[in-house]
Amino acid sequence: MTLDPTRRHFSPEIEAMPRAEIDALREEKLLGDLVPWSYERSGLIRETWDAAGVKPSDIQSMDDYHEKAPFIDKDAIRSYRDRHGDPYGGLLCLDPADPSMKGIFSAIFSTSGTTGDPTPAPYAGRGPSMLVREFWELGARPGDHFLHCLFTFRGPGIHDTIRGIGATPVFVDHQPGDVEQLFRFSRELRPTGWYTLSGPLIMMIEEAASRLGVDLDDVCSSYKGVIFAGEPLGPRARQRVEEWGLELFIQTSLGDVGAATECQEHDGCHMWEDCAYIECLDPEGTKPVAASERGELVSTTLVDKIAPLLRYRSDDLVRVSREECRCGRTHGRVWPLGRKGDELVVDGVSVLPGDVWGAVESIDETNGLFQLIRPAREVDTLRLRVGYSSEGRGGLPALRGRVEDAVEEAVGVRPEIDLVERDILLRQGPPHKIPRVTKA
Amino acid sequence: MTFAREFEAPPEVWGVGRVVVGHEIVPWPVSEADVVDETDIVEQHYRALGLGDDDLVLVVALLSQAIHAVPLEAGAGRVGALYSSADATRFDAFRTASLIRQLEAKVVIGVDAEIVTGLDDLARDLADVFGSVAAVVAADEVAYARLSDAALPTGRYLRLGPTSAVAVPGDDALTYDASRWQVEEEDGALVLTNLVERYTPCDRFPTGIRGGVPEPGRILLSP
Repeated sequence: MTLDPTRRHFSPEIEAMPRAEIDALREEKLLGDLVPWSYERSGLIRETWDAAGVKPSDIQSMDDYHEKAPFIDKDAIRSYRDRHGDPYGGLLCLDPADPSMKGIFSAIFSTSGTTGDPTPAPYAGRGPSMLVREFWELGARPGDHFLHCLFTFRGPGIHDTIRGIGATPVFVDHQPGDVEQLFRFSRELRPTGWYTLSGPLIMMIEEAASRLGVDLDDVCSSYKGVIFAGEPLGPRARQRVEEWGLELFIQTSLGDVGAATECQEHDGCHMWEDCAYIECLDPEGTKPVAASERGELVSTTLVDKIAPLLRYRSDDLVRVSREECRCGRTHGRVWPLGRKGDELVVDGVSVLPGDVWGAVESIDETNGLFQLIRPAREVDTLRLRVGYSSEGRGGLPALRGRVEDAVEEAVGVRPEIDLVERDILLRQGPPHKIPRVTKA
Repeated sequence: MTFAREFEAPPEVWGVGRVVVGHEIVPWPVSEADVVDETDIVEQHYRALGLGDDDLVLVVALLSQAIHAVPLEAGAGRVGALYSSADATRFDAFRTASLIRQLEAKVVIGVDAEIVTGLDDLARDLADVFGSVAAVVAADEVAYARLSDAALPTGRYLRLGPTSAVAVPGDDALTYDASRWQVEEEDGALVLTNLVERYTPCDRFPTGIRGGVPEPGRILLSP
């Protein structure tokens, strides 16, 4: 079937589905399918629900789900993995050795491993993902080239998805060594979409363009939209990229059950409620926060029957709204705010990485690279490790002083700054991000 | 209702990858049929390496190598195995080590100098990391030498233009599919011609690889 390239949404019947139908679809998928399926097959879900004294038959409504369904989190998965020697943490619902699974259960991908051992993530089949909706929203259309700039360990879903909108992927590594090819393919093939850009990649592109005398306006002129992912985007980095002529679409993780991405309105990231059920709960409790109030994102898959997550406490602090967006999509939106486990309380003042991001980034020599040092949640002194690519005028003492001033102005607390060469920080993370909080 | 009931007919070009000839990068568009054809070839490689039902192969590659890496991934299913992936970068070497341990990989293919250096950075002993693997298939000579020196069952994987060749541990010669590709020696280097239809044709394409063809289907690399 040929898609009309002028249509506003890729899947209008889903993306603009009336709210009542979204709710009914969610209830049907969750209560009629995912809950009994997961309880029957997932060791972790069964163990957790049995410990809570809850059976699938106890869940007859969404109210029951909210009231009775127990939570799981990353610690529970790791604990199950360690206790049972099960790399999938008790989530796997299918037996890879089952002959009927041949060709369905095909691969095992893994998380980025930013904070520890990468977690294996089973994958079934091939084919486009829900990201077809986002790639269409960027403005990419059938017949276009589409820059696929990522890694291998997240699997084939992205290039299948690019083809799912009729575009052709152009493969580039999310690595410093491949930026020249990114320039070349952008100029020669004129891609319209780009997945993904990240903070470290922005830095690599700027440096390579400066070194090679490349005009980034020219390189970026064919792109209609670029998805930015991996970590938050600071105001300075956004300004630079927009000066290249790129329109950025922010993407955020949806509690390990998917991703949420901005639309052309750039007012929150759309969470696909036919694929995931998202709750926004009191970070220290179990009750929902008021609409658009800050809470913890708790996710439940509605589509993953291989390793389903039910009521997964993500540790992500977000705002959520289910008001209809100006773009016409009816699915809810999420605004990422930070990680619950990242919060520092310094002399009674709450500090998250996002609170100091813009301040550090405002000092050119740092490229916005920093880590909060968090030996405990409550500390007496705010300590930051800050990367630098050049010392600037006045040398390191002056640079340190400028960073201290900027951070103090942003959060009201005078920090201690440990300056380190930029590459030391970059080596601590995968290509698209670094750990922004560290214990020491 | 699924997330997207209607799809555009797939584009004629499956993807634009690349072929590396010496230091030159040649953009290389391939069709879906090309990828399927290369997956057939990889299936033969995997069977020769002993990969089979319920096994797992770890594919170590870069996204830019997709026209080679995707057949390595898809080929696993052809022999009833699963696959997992790690980037062939110094930084991501920790993933190779972690996934071998967690997933009990039987075959690891694509290990190169970046991975070996990354494991050195982590002070990881190659014999420890790969000791449980039945076949470790190196993608360059640096990795081949280091893995062999560690007394590991080491094979070779070669990106030969847009196709591939594999030597199983203990065999110096690399095998390619002579029914689909003609490989010839020209001035001590290998040139490649496609015998079945390809989106981007090769007519005595210079691969930049030094070696000879002792018999159709087998390559010996020059030192």
